[in-house]
Amino acid sequence: MTTTETPLIHMRGIRKVFHTDEVETHALSDVHFDIHEGEYVAISGPSGCGKTTLLSILGLLDTPSAGEYSIAGESVARLAPVDRARVRNQQIGFIFQAFNLIGDLTVFENVELPLTYRDMAASERRDRVQAALEKVGMTHRARHFPAQLSGGQQQRVAVARAVAGEPAILLADEPTGNLDSKNGESVMELLRELHAGGASICMVTHDVRYVAHADREVALFDGKIVAAHEPSPAMR
Amino acid sequence: MRHFTLALRIVRKSPFVSTVAVLSLALGIGANAAIFSLFDQLLLRALPVAAPHELVNLSAPGPKPGSTTCNQQGSCEEIFSYPMYRDLERSQSVLTGLVAHRAFGGSFAVRDEPFTAEGVWVSGSYFPTLGIQPAIGRLLGPADDEVPGAHDVVVISHALWMERYGGAPSAIGERLVVNGVSYTIVGVAPANFEGATIGSRPLAWLPLSMYPNTGTPQPLFESRRRYWLYVFGRLKPGVTLEQASTALNTLYSPILADVEAPLQEGMSDATMQRFVTRRIEVTPGQRGQSNIHREAKTPLLMLFSVTGIVLLIACANVANLLLARGAGRATEMGVRLALGASRRQLVTQLLTEAVVLALLGGVASLFVAHWTLHLIGTLLPPIATESLSLSLQPSVMLFAGLLALGTGVVFGLFPALHSTRADLISAIRAGASQMTGGKAASRFRTTLVTVQVALSMALLVSAGLFIKSLTNVSRVELGADIDQLVTFAISPGRAGYDSTRASAFLARVEEELATIPGVTGVTSALVPLLAGNNWGTDVRVQGFAHGPDIDANARLNRVGPGYLATMGMSLLAGREFTHADVLGATPVALVNETFAAKFGLGRDAVGKFMGIDGDDSLTVQIVGLMKDAKYSDVKDPVPPLFFTPWRQVANTTYLVFYVRSSLPSAQLLAAIPPLMRRLDATIPVEELKTMPQQVRENVFLDRMISILSAAFAVLATLLAGIGLYGVLSYSVTQRTREIGVRVALGANAARVRALILRQVALMVGIGGLLGITVALALGRAAQSLLFGLEGHDPLVFAASVLLLALVAFAAGYAPARRAAAIDPMQALRYD
Repeated sequence: MTTTETPLIHMRGIRKVFHTDEVETHALSDVHFDIHEGEYVAISGPSGCGKTTLLSILGLLDTPSAGEYSIAGESVARLAPVDRARVRNQQIGFIFQAFNLIGDLTVFENVELPLTYRDMAASERRDRVQAALEKVGMTHRARHFPAQLSGGQQQRVAVARAVAGEPAILLADEPTGNLDSKNGESVMELLRELHAGGASICMVTHDVRYVAHADREVALFDGKIVAAHEPSPAMR
Repeated sequence: MRHFTLALRIVRKSPFVSTVAVLSLALGIGANAAIFSLFDQLLLRALPVAAPHELVNLSAPGPKPGSTTCNQQGSCEEIFSYPMYRDLERSQSVLTGLVAHRAFGGSFAVRDEPFTAEGVWVSGSYFPTLGIQPAIGRLLGPADDEVPGAHDVVVISHALWMERYGGAPSAIGERLVVNGVSYTIVGVAPANFEGATIGSRPLAWLPLSMYPNTGTPQPLFESRRRYWLYVFGRLKPGVTLEQASTALNTLYSPILADVEAPLQEGMSDATMQRFVTRRIEVTPGQRGQSNIHREAKTPLLMLFSVTGIVLLIACANVANLLLARGAGRATEMGVRLALGASRRQLVTQLLTEAVVLALLGGVASLFVAHWTLHLIGTLLPPIATESLSLSLQPSVMLFAGLLALGTGVVFGLFPALHSTRADLISAIRAGASQMTGGKAASRFRTTLVTVQVALSMALLVSAGLFIKSLTNVSRVELGADIDQLVTFAISPGRAGYDSTRASAFLARVEEELATIPGVTGVTSALVPLLAGNNWGTDVRVQGFAHGPDIDANARLNRVGPGYLATMGMSLLAGREFTHADVLGATPVALVNETFAAKFGLGRDAVGKFMGIDGDDSLTVQIVGLMKDAKYSDVKDPVPPLFFTPWRQVANTTYLVFYVRSSLPSAQLLAAIPPLMRRLDATIPVEELKTMPQQVRENVFLDRMISILSAAFAVLATLLAGIGLYGVLSYSVTQRTREIGVRVALGANAARVRALILRQVALMVGIGGLLGITVALALGRAAQSLLFGLEGHDPLVFAASVLLLALVAFAAGYAPARRAAAIDPMQALRYD
């Protein structure tokens, strides 16, 4: 991996301040942070350190109070809502802790959902959904509804949904948080396979076991990056 | 399509919410569609003729000395004399045609089978001006309207053609008997054409030249002091209403001043001035000429307002349900947004769901509309149901569809916009099971319910006003005993009897009716009681000054012997008519108290003399003074009224009979037609009914408005109650943790219940006050429809407040009880 090429994710001086009544809370302060294409980064830290805020800004679910942020060279810190939706749809794949599959849609329709927002032809959508489900081993469940699946299966579907649009980066927020250890391991294995296949991944976790899966760990504390390094061999 | 499929899935997934929403909308849209059906037929629809917007109606308000006879085609301000119509028709240059027409009810006979129906006398310009084409044969033209009495041809309606001739072309050339005169059928009007008077369904159009040209001192066609024709025309291309008015008045004014003014006698200078300055008013005529436009407007607008309010309440309910469901789907919306959906896409999805619900409601509303129209049909008199279509017509379905679409967008918009304003991060992290709802949504929901309460209050008050009004109407002292009384009419004159034969026949009918077992009294009259008919004339009364502009008008009736006794009316002094009061005997009259008071007779009326029908000599002796009794309408004040014996008039060819019996009315109703068939099968029995039925028909508008508004008000209050219940239930669910904390801190059940019921009191208090304000405005608007009370009747307002408070308390009590039963241990674990 080289560090001279244009980073996929580029953050400089990111700050996030929440205002409630007369109280100012600095959730993130002067965050400088890059992720390169094909990299697998784990963001770790204790509760309240700003992990989720950082992931939300990374996923364009929230806007920074200050700082520069670009994805694949495109500045995205101050985009209009409609452009943010476009970038989220085309560049980012989300994997949530609570899976967040839509109960009224079948597995197939859940995976297809982000593609429907692209005005993509139905045949192409079908091919991509098929490929994504094959990738996570859930083709046989395509006609089922989420409530008919186990937690691990639901998260596999969520991963398929995240990769179906072939995004530039996958953002995973505590992807094993709602799973037992066996299913958690299985999902982590799936992410590792995706990474091996070339996917860029940024994962928030406070589980040290899973940090070891990443190429690089970014540790947050009180809204600041306190360490950025390769996970220790012991962890790996 | 994807949106639509998902919307259907959502509807199926929450059957309770969907059912309540669909039912609410069905009731709201259906009620509106039903009233729209009447509104459309009576007030909106243009005549089915070529370029109806070019049609204009003519009227000439102002003094009309002489006789005026007006009917359902319009007010007495709108009628013209025959000579004036012909003068205008000959000379005018701004219209492509000027038409005179006069509707009538007559005795018809097809192949010797008699029946009563409506017909229209029409000028030769009628069909050419309307620009319609016959179904078969030909229509009437100017050539059929040239020589009085010489054109025995008739055009029949499509309905008559189908019903009596089976739609056979051979009907052309057959004979149709109308009022005893035989006419040759020359054509059939097109299927959708029912004349130029909304609310009537004539079966035949006859040449005006065939109208019986009788009368004294001049025949009808020569008299300029007899006003009886309704007139309309079609503007020439490029001519405006103003230009037409100017041009017609340029002709009209000199005729008034030079020809008609010299004919007037005994007119004061002031009245003469008003007479010669009368002007023709030209108004748009695309909807034809009909009293219904004026009479139905206020009641229909009132009912439309009521059903509009019901729909608003239904929409508020559905919006509330959708908001609650939207809160439950906050995570889904957050996820969709996170996956790149634009807000527009989500709003489209949610609006599709709302519209699907609305369309389902729209389909269900057709059943509600059908039932509502059926209910209306049971409240209308037969003459109205015959002339109205009370089935679901395409225009009603289109209206229901558009209303469903519109309401879908309106009630779906705020929930859609609100649900897609999700705080993405909290929505996504909240988890699918947790409901979220912002302060804005909560405020909106509370506002919706408050508005529902306000609207319900307004409807309850208006329903209360109409019910009290109907109660007042039902308590009106009629001055007659209508129970056990049956009435019907016959017209031997229309069946070809001359006046001598007709009088003899009518007298025989009276005798034969008396022989029916159980009959205790029979009498007859020329003017039916409480049927909306008014016959009036100027009279001279002994001791009462007479002169120009002195009101000497009184209502009249010609009645048979024993009229007062049979009708249960009271005689205060003198006697009533006997079989000895016949032509040739001393002319006699009975007068009522109001007559005696108006003409200064007091209690000494009996023995005084009077003159009738322009007769200056006082030749009629008043032989009896009767107690005031209602005459034309239940709600109208008793007019000055006198009776004369019909047997003292030479030309009686039509009578209404009243038969009193100790038997059930149904038996008597069944016995009359066979008796009449035995006496003369060619004379149809008309208007056979009980007198209570006649009175109900006389006040049908009051009954219809009060029953419908009460039904709609109950419906609206129920919907508002459901809305209130829904909001409070949702509020209790949302406040479970807070209530748990309160209970943990020592709040007892009563305090918790009070906490919830305070919410109810606040919404009902504010909504109630708003509703009272709206109700006051509605009461003012409906004043003309109320009888015997003011639009701000305090008792009605108090009762409405009480009823609404009870409903609100009932709706709030269950959620309050549920709140009071919250287990703090569970509540504090609630997530």
